[in-house]
Amino acid sequence: MTAENAKNEKRKDRIAKTKEYALELCCVYTFLSVTGAIINIIAGTETGNLNVLVMFATCAIGTFVLFLHKLFDRFSPLFMIVAQYLIACALIGLMLLLIHLFVDAISLRGLFEFYRSFTIPYIFLAGFYYYRVFSETRKQAELIREIQQLKSKDAGSETVM
Amino acid sequence: MKLNLYKDKNLREEKVDIHYTAMRPMIRQLIDTVRSERPSLSGRPADEDVDDGEEIILDTAEIYYLDHVDRKLFAYTKDGVFRIAGTLSDCEEMLWNYGFVRVSKSNLINIYKVKQLKPDVNMKVYASFDNGERICVNRSYNKSFREYLQKMRRMSL
Repeated sequence: MTAENAKNEKRKDRIAKTKEYALELCCVYTFLSVTGAIINIIAGTETGNLNVLVMFATCAIGTFVLFLHKLFDRFSPLFMIVAQYLIACALIGLMLLLIHLFVDAISLRGLFEFYRSFTIPYIFLAGFYYYRVFSETRKQAELIREIQQLKSKDAGSETVM
Repeated sequence: MKLNLYKDKNLREEKVDIHYTAMRPMIRQLIDTVRSERPSLSGRPADEDVDDGEEIILDTAEIYYLDHVDRKLFAYTKDGVFRIAGTLSDCEEMLWNYGFVRVSKSNLINIYKVKQLKPDVNMKVYASFDNGERICVNRSYNKSFREYLQKMRRMSL
């Protein structure tokens, strides 16, 4: 492969990844905004323009952080979950700082509330992932056991005539 | 599976009839053996003290797993470690019907030799073998690993 071809491949790969990211972001944002709208209807509350933008930025950060999972392939999933959480916290911190400096002042209470509303679903999702790893492994172990048993059944008996 | 062996000195040509219900991996292996296409790996002991320069034919059923390290391919068996020729991808293709599946960039494991599959507390999943060794099932390969197991089970029925 020439250097030019390698460069083209890399560019194509980058474009494909960007498209994938955009698609994921659209799905996540749609899901959250529809859920938010339903909650607002039920609770009789309303969301401001800034809240909509903050939610979009949070979705963009969350999706981006989840997209980084390939970087942590060498590490354990537990490490990956913690590292992704810390990266997300740092990026959200940066976003809140920008909002605080250029848009609207954020109180300490607001900061705490934001992190709490981000951390709780994250812990739930991490717990679900943890459960999935264990249940999936158990299923795979059962499959292996079954395949081994079927093979030993296949070995059968021998008759010489 | 019932095996009948008939001895007939007057037979002009030796023959093998296989009566099967479905093309299972076991049947595929029998066909490979009759056609003399059964894959075999030959290698030399990785331990230089044991290596007398002779190639040893390895029975694929005796191999726990294959490991690719520093552009060298090693087969781990009960009797020791053997350095074998070829690439991991070639072995993956050749040994598909023999229970070998890719679980990481550098490992192929023999599912018939897996003693236990268990995740650690840190959520890394390991396949353990009789020789006490463990191989990590990389999560990038988890989907293809699961699909392989499901396919093997379906084919084995």
